[in-house]
Amino acid sequence: MSNDGQPCQCVSARSSAITMGLDLHVNYMRMATKLARYALDHDETPVACIFVHTPTDQVLAYGMNDTNRSLSGVAHAEFMGIAQIQEKFGAQNTAIFKDVTLYVTVEPCIMCASALKQLGIQKVVFGCGNERFGGNGSILSIHRDSCTVPQNKHELIPGVLRKEAIMLLRYFYVRENERSPKPRAKANRKLDVSVFPPMNWGLYLTRSEFEEIFGASKIEYFDKSLDLSTHVDWSLIDCNQDIFFQNLKVECELFSLQVAKKPKPQTISS
Amino acid sequence: MVKKKLNPLHIDYRRGIIENCLQQVTNNAGTDDPHLINVWTVDISCQNSRQFVEFIRMKVQDEDPTTFQHIKRIKKSKAEGFLTVIVCSTLMIDNEAEFLTLMECAPFSFHSTSRSSVVPAVGPSTKDLSLKWSNIYWPLVWRGNPNDQVLNDYVFDLPFIKRILSEISKQARNRIGERSGGLPVVSAFVNPKTKEVFYSSDARSSTSPLDHSIMRGITSVATLELERKSSPNARLQDETYLCLNFDVYTTHEPCSMCAMALIHSRIKRCIFLKRMENTGCLDCGSGDSYCMHSHRSLNSKYEVFRWLGEDYPVPQIDSNICC
Repeated sequence: MSNDGQPCQCVSARSSAITMGLDLHVNYMRMATKLARYALDHDETPVACIFVHTPTDQVLAYGMNDTNRSLSGVAHAEFMGIAQIQEKFGAQNTAIFKDVTLYVTVEPCIMCASALKQLGIQKVVFGCGNERFGGNGSILSIHRDSCTVPQNKHELIPGVLRKEAIMLLRYFYVRENERSPKPRAKANRKLDVSVFPPMNWGLYLTRSEFEEIFGASKIEYFDKSLDLSTHVDWSLIDCNQDIFFQNLKVECELFSLQVAKKPKPQTISS
Repeated sequence: MVKKKLNPLHIDYRRGIIENCLQQVTNNAGTDDPHLINVWTVDISCQNSRQFVEFIRMKVQDEDPTTFQHIKRIKKSKAEGFLTVIVCSTLMIDNEAEFLTLMECAPFSFHSTSRSSVVPAVGPSTKDLSLKWSNIYWPLVWRGNPNDQVLNDYVFDLPFIKRILSEISKQARNRIGERSGGLPVVSAFVNPKTKEVFYSSDARSSTSPLDHSIMRGITSVATLELERKSSPNARLQDETYLCLNFDVYTTHEPCSMCAMALIHSRIKRCIFLKRMENTGCLDCGSGDSYCMHSHRSLNSKYEVFRWLGEDYPVPQIDSNICC
């Protein structure tokens, strides 16, 4: 604060830049969350992701878990999106990943975290932690280890739309349990819609990294293990997202068209 | 399971070496670290011990991710005529309301519900330590070094193993200098039911930088299964689920991506030839010492062995490259 009680310009500029950045992240994470709902409705694990070309602020690829259809244990959402990017830019072009931000509803597993780091991704934003297999802090911290291409580093932003991501996983487990030939006791698997486990930010970020990303005004969220948002946006996870999915596919296709035009300017004049 | 004395294989239990050629690769750095976990305990009357054991067998044993074979579930309570018993781990049930729901169907009365007792997640390697832990934490059962039994229970078809290792070593050396589209790294996936062998090689510079030999092997097993399923005379007994119980052989120690991919694929065993000092993720001495296959927090695991000696040479690969 300056002497007259007004926030100094540099502080307010910084905090509005943070807010704008976070709004952007929330917007893309809303898309990833809708896609995860779509995956749930189409018999897959509700984990999904969106890849954004950071400089032009456009969606260029998406991914959903595909382990059930493909019968492969490694067909995670991230790999589907990576394959789409490779199709557009050529598989050997890893330079493109320096300009790509991944939005994924659940923290990438160790395998995906390693793949993303080996490709040199710019930034990873995720919703909830992956307490069984997480590779960005929950179990291992591949993004800052020394055995996986240590010269590649990427920024990490956890906890965006975390409650929505957790709710989708709960929907999935309740459904799987109902389908199971040997369902577990009801009390074990009752759908909880109001209580969420504390968010242990320290697994993913240092206190100062948190402050850098979310702003000094939010530091109490770090200290008290609070979620960024108190409410759950049910519209993202309780609605059918088939139309959203059709639009998303078109959006990704449009991106590749625009890129394809660049090297051939003569086609525009003809 | 055979008795130690009757095992036809020569096992060096102290060093974990089988037949002087296969080195067990495990996270022995943490063996004598108790890795404590919290358990739910209650006090019951001495007369109810039989009902308690029956209740555990019916309602808990199959659900609890923790095994208590190295732990005495029942100990004397401070109160005369009562026992303090372990019902389940807090990994199985985390909150008290859920725990009490489970206990509603217990055929005995109980009191003093608590989740503050801790027990070691696995038994220690020596008797002295077992006694020490029994005094500090909770009474344990001593049945010898748990790893001795693990080593004794492994089954090996050494002629088969040698044949596969010889083949991947040869294929990898044949790739040197060829325009093969990748590094001279080769893996073999062995189907546990049919003993069919699928070979896969690195293709990182032709298809995708992520096409390491193990990732390609996993994908081709899945592709073959998809084809098999769609054929009109597909037989149920030939069905494979992911790479469940496959044995995987590979020339170079896998990186973090591939080591984890093998967990997702539910393989049984991995045998590798060459340690990757900086990027390997299985051997305790490699990379960041992840020992991914025996990592405590990852609940799926596989066996890992490194071939000792120089019988099967492999091409040299820069130690900073992920295989």
